[in-house]
Amino acid sequence: MSKRLNPYTTAPDMMKPMIALEAAVKDSGLEYSLIELVKMRASQINGCAYCLHMHSADARKAGESEARLYLLSAWRESELYTPRERAALAWTEALTLLPQTHAPDADYEEALRHFSGEEMVKLSLLIGTINVWNRIAVGFRSHHPNDRAPRIEAA
Amino acid sequence: MSQRLNVFQVAPAAIEALLKTQAYVNESGLEHSLLELVKMRASQINACAYCLHMHSMDARKAGESEARLYLLDAWRESDLYTPRERAALGWTEALTRLSEGAPSDEAFAELRAHFSEKECVDLSMSIAAINAWNRLNAGFRSRHPADRPRKTEAAA
Repeated sequence: MSKRLNPYTTAPDMMKPMIALEAAVKDSGLEYSLIELVKMRASQINGCAYCLHMHSADARKAGESEARLYLLSAWRESELYTPRERAALAWTEALTLLPQTHAPDADYEEALRHFSGEEMVKLSLLIGTINVWNRIAVGFRSHHPNDRAPRIEAA
Repeated sequence: MSQRLNVFQVAPAAIEALLKTQAYVNESGLEHSLLELVKMRASQINACAYCLHMHSMDARKAGESEARLYLLDAWRESDLYTPRERAALGWTEALTRLSEGAPSDEAFAELRAHFSEKECVDLSMSIAAINAWNRLNAGFRSRHPADRPRKTEAAA
């Protein structure tokens, strides 16, 4: 599992607008806790270890609970998430799994009950942005910091 | 999202049988840390909040790190897991997602490279057991303890 290339050194000019988009999404006015949940859920679906590492650390630093991160794969079956968060998570799954979901009306209408039109654009761009990061990080095998060596428990 | 029925009350003998299987797996000699990772990964795939709640707490109590639980969906892309754990997680996904295709020879060869034949059976039994729990808890909407009130951050 070696790193393939470093996009920041290989094509720095292409990464700059991406970083600007990330900043715009982060400062969009959407709640920070919601932004991190959306990023975590998309990164779970896309299997992006680099992004899960970064955003679990960011979320925890900002006061997110362990339980809400551990149960995130099963948010539909848990009461730990608000109706607004649930609508955002459903929309996250709809847009991340686009080939399977085709962004159904039901998810869109539920999201519109909790988000203004402007917020829907912000949310959708947020989802698009984390999906780009996931593709860059997984595609080029970016390594997350190794904050802990693997456990080597004797069999 | 209320509970549909309480399996422990409705069919205690059925649960007793599954508990016996679980007790066998727990005593099989497989590492506790490995078994918890397997349970978490299957429960992620099956989206079982009840089991994720239980096993994240059990794993953390036993000394598991937060990072290894947060990155578990993406274990293939991380160095946080040992080769033995990676083989077990690959097998967990293969047996949990049977409907998407038969477990490959490669997955089994990788498993055998790290586990004895008996361990392969014990591990598979463990995967089967957590899949059974997932199906009971998700199917009947068992509710996990709400250890934290919902966040009520004001909507804009």
